[in-house]
Amino acid sequence: MATPTALSDGARALILLCSSVVAARGEEARPFGPRMWAKLQTRLDEHGVGVAELLGMSASAIDARLGVGAVEADRIACLLARTGQLAFELDRLAARGIGAMTLADDAYPTRFLIRLGPDAPPVLFVAGDRAILGAGGVAIVGSRDVDPVSAAFAEAVAAAAAHDGKPVVSGGARGVDQLAMRAAFEAGGRVAGLLPEGIEGRLRDGATRTAVAEGLAVLASPYHPGAGFSAGAAMARNKLIYALSDVAVVVASAAGSGGTWTGAVEALEAGWVPVLVRRSNPMPDGNRQLIERGALPLDEPLLPDLSSLPAPTDRRRARQVAEEPSPYEQQSLKLVD
Amino acid sequence: MLGPGATFRDGQREAIEAVIRDGSRTLVVQRTGWGKSLVYWIATRVRRDAGHGPTLIVSPLLALMRNQIAMADRLGLRAVTINSGNREEWAGIEDDLARDRLDVLFVSAQRFANEDFMTRVLPSIRGSIGMFVVDEAHCISDWGHEFVPDYRRIGRLLPTLGPVVPVLGTTATANDRVVEDVSAQLGRDVAIIRGPLARDTLHLDAIPLRDQAERLAWLAEHLPGLPGAGIVYCLTVADTERVAGWLRARGIDARAYSADVDTLEREALEADLLASRIKALVATVALGMGFDKPDLGFVIHFQRPGSPIAYYQQVGRAGRAVDRAYGILLSGREDDDIAEYFLRTAFPPTARMQEILAALERVDSATVRGLQQHVNLPQGQIEKALKLLEVDGAVVHERGRYFRTPNPWAQDEDWVAGVLAARRRELAAMQDYVGTDECRMAFLARLLDDPSAGACGHCANDGGHVWSRDVDPELVREAVSFLRRDVRVIEPRRQWPGGSRIAVPNEQGRALCVYGDPGWGRDVARGKYEAGRFDDELVAAAADVIRVRWRPTPSPAWVTAIPSRARSTLVGDFASRLAALLGLPYAECLTSLVEAPPQKDMQNSAQQYANARRKLAIDASAVLPGPVLLVDDIVDSRWTMTVAGSLLREHGAGPVLPLALAVASMRDA
Repeated sequence: MATPTALSDGARALILLCSSVVAARGEEARPFGPRMWAKLQTRLDEHGVGVAELLGMSASAIDARLGVGAVEADRIACLLARTGQLAFELDRLAARGIGAMTLADDAYPTRFLIRLGPDAPPVLFVAGDRAILGAGGVAIVGSRDVDPVSAAFAEAVAAAAAHDGKPVVSGGARGVDQLAMRAAFEAGGRVAGLLPEGIEGRLRDGATRTAVAEGLAVLASPYHPGAGFSAGAAMARNKLIYALSDVAVVVASAAGSGGTWTGAVEALEAGWVPVLVRRSNPMPDGNRQLIERGALPLDEPLLPDLSSLPAPTDRRRARQVAEEPSPYEQQSLKLVD
Repeated sequence: MLGPGATFRDGQREAIEAVIRDGSRTLVVQRTGWGKSLVYWIATRVRRDAGHGPTLIVSPLLALMRNQIAMADRLGLRAVTINSGNREEWAGIEDDLARDRLDVLFVSAQRFANEDFMTRVLPSIRGSIGMFVVDEAHCISDWGHEFVPDYRRIGRLLPTLGPVVPVLGTTATANDRVVEDVSAQLGRDVAIIRGPLARDTLHLDAIPLRDQAERLAWLAEHLPGLPGAGIVYCLTVADTERVAGWLRARGIDARAYSADVDTLEREALEADLLASRIKALVATVALGMGFDKPDLGFVIHFQRPGSPIAYYQQVGRAGRAVDRAYGILLSGREDDDIAEYFLRTAFPPTARMQEILAALERVDSATVRGLQQHVNLPQGQIEKALKLLEVDGAVVHERGRYFRTPNPWAQDEDWVAGVLAARRRELAAMQDYVGTDECRMAFLARLLDDPSAGACGHCANDGGHVWSRDVDPELVREAVSFLRRDVRVIEPRRQWPGGSRIAVPNEQGRALCVYGDPGWGRDVARGKYEAGRFDDELVAAAADVIRVRWRPTPSPAWVTAIPSRARSTLVGDFASRLAALLGLPYAECLTSLVEAPPQKDMQNSAQQYANARRKLAIDASAVLPGPVLLVDDIVDSRWTMTVAGSLLREHGAGPVLPLALAVASMRDA
């Protein structure tokens, strides 16, 4: 089994600060979200302090070094005190084929750093071949309840990606996500599953476990490996699906609300990758409206030549040009550097 | 303890100073009674006062925990234990941990395989784990005399605890190789605090006797003359019950203690021994490490343990705070058989383990019962295999179900061979110990690489008391007759292998002896494999059991037999003679259908059941009405009896009363 021994003290510190993997019930010190971590990272850099150096430091020593204030220093010290619990939990996870990966890890997807900036999750829990996370691929998204036409379309796109040697990037939820994953496996392709819940439960499914064991699938999630499904978490991981891929295909979307719609609109705004939307007659209202908002229509379940597609633009940044750059944006640029 | 003017023993202060530093690694190798626990109590106090979290102590057995917790109370530390016996207290403990109200949490290594403990209790610790203690740290070494799979996980964890948590390992029994291995696993810069292991007050002797009956006679004669109260160690649970039963029959207050005795009862028995209210506990190693009775007068072994280090550890419980205590090893002819059995079953075969994985890969998850249908291994061996696979990360165990993980698995054959070779060397050393004429304490101390080893001057080989090797023939006869009266109960099976209830189970049955024992066991062996006919003496003994000691209700109205293999009439002949003696009709109604493999080659319930089903048929016209005595020669899994009983009931017989000549001696419970 993969031993967690390989993790550096810095990685351990990052996991303690930025994940709830060993957070106690009722613990007052809440872990750092991606943006809060980005701010703390800036401060550490400014003071020339490596995050590993904080391990074993008292709250007052942390405040003295970083000047973050007593409350924040206490929070950091509390989170970092749990190295013992972390050792046990990482061993438990390793015994289930699950490892932790941080921003500092070589295998951490650079696309997340470049495209998501301060929203890049500092910690990912991963099972399976990590190389798939760096191989780009075709994101296939769509609703949980799926009609036969959409299902066939999703499966055909997945098979086309598999034949092209491109991974299918999937949200791993019911409906379009899982149909696309299965079709990719059946065509001998690979899959990156960015799950809306912890990956521990998913590995109990025999078919998924086999695909992971055989190197055909990687499962990754920023959430505690034991966490259940939550709509909020599913929404928040949508950006990971788009950001990991080369191109995204929206098979079926409701209009104005729902995970698929929100994720696609966010992706169109951010301009991470070209967003293609299935066009057929009839088609869901959401598909039509996404095309009206600038998504590219896709009439056949084929993969277009990426170089022939117009480059997507970051509309949010375009709107912000005249305005003062936000601290997050500064951080984002810094991470890209 | 710790009264005014208390001083430290050699090395204690040094150990405490080493262990209180952030991130330190310390290994203490000191004999039992030196005061290792004082080191972690005081270190815990110091760390707690400095604002660190509670100490987590991994300790193998509950006896230790109960003892230790009482000691913690005296030092003003709040210590609790979490184990499978106090599940109802876990929620309260979680709550206390979350509020930082506990100083010490004791757990067994097996807890780290428990999902509830790992995902609920452990994370509820508020703040840090202040210190990590591995008691009996030799268990994390493959070269230690005890192999506990869960300790592999502990060894794996040690390098990942981070730069703050101090780690303390303690053991009383480690030779150079084990010390080296354990300290390598603890990490770099390990402070090793090691003292002499020999015990001046212990008087050793080893006495070879022919068989169980002679050893029972020896115990009955000499136990009353031994000082104070003590322990008689046996290798099997069944022997603890037999030996204690015999001693009580001889008017000696002895009680059986094993993992089969329930937790509350065990605590009461320990308290009785601590207060010397009884003469002896007849125990398996479940009465184990750290059971601390400073005035223990003797430790006698009814059989030879497999390793001199294990032996030293057990015998070393005697004589901590008395001028003279005795450590006497009795050994006899079945010792080698038992040792071989333990070696043979130490590791399930690799091919079987791969079959288990293959079976798990075909499904989402499975139970042990489900796996029995696919893998011809005894249930105990399947469980052992699953435990090894679980520690290796190939299998996950949650709420009675086993899941394959995506981690690849391959048996580390060199490692297995190495562990087994180490075991064989230890067995050979133990055989040497029985026969040696050198000083016994020096012999054991040398095996432990005790730097201060020298002749003790008071063991039986070194000028001390030599116990008599002769046994009173009258007592031996009485022991044989005790064994002959010590009828074994055969509990009926109540479930089919698939889990459904057996509609009408057999009645409780009886067996005359344990196969091969000096009671009737040797007569059964001779009849089955030499004479081809069971003696009239056995027929008479069986009739006597039924009429006098068993007296089953309802009493049998007729007799039938399990059909023998290969057209032999061995069992039928015996059963018809028994029927004649009891004045009951004998009817042959069960027949053997096919030349199926012998039932003893079937290794678990599912396979045994399936084989018995294939084999047995019934001639309905021969079945008589009324309660039936169902006779077999040797009963092992009970599946043949169960299937036969159910056939008899279905075809008009009354309640089924099983009678066997013997129960198999080595069974994988």
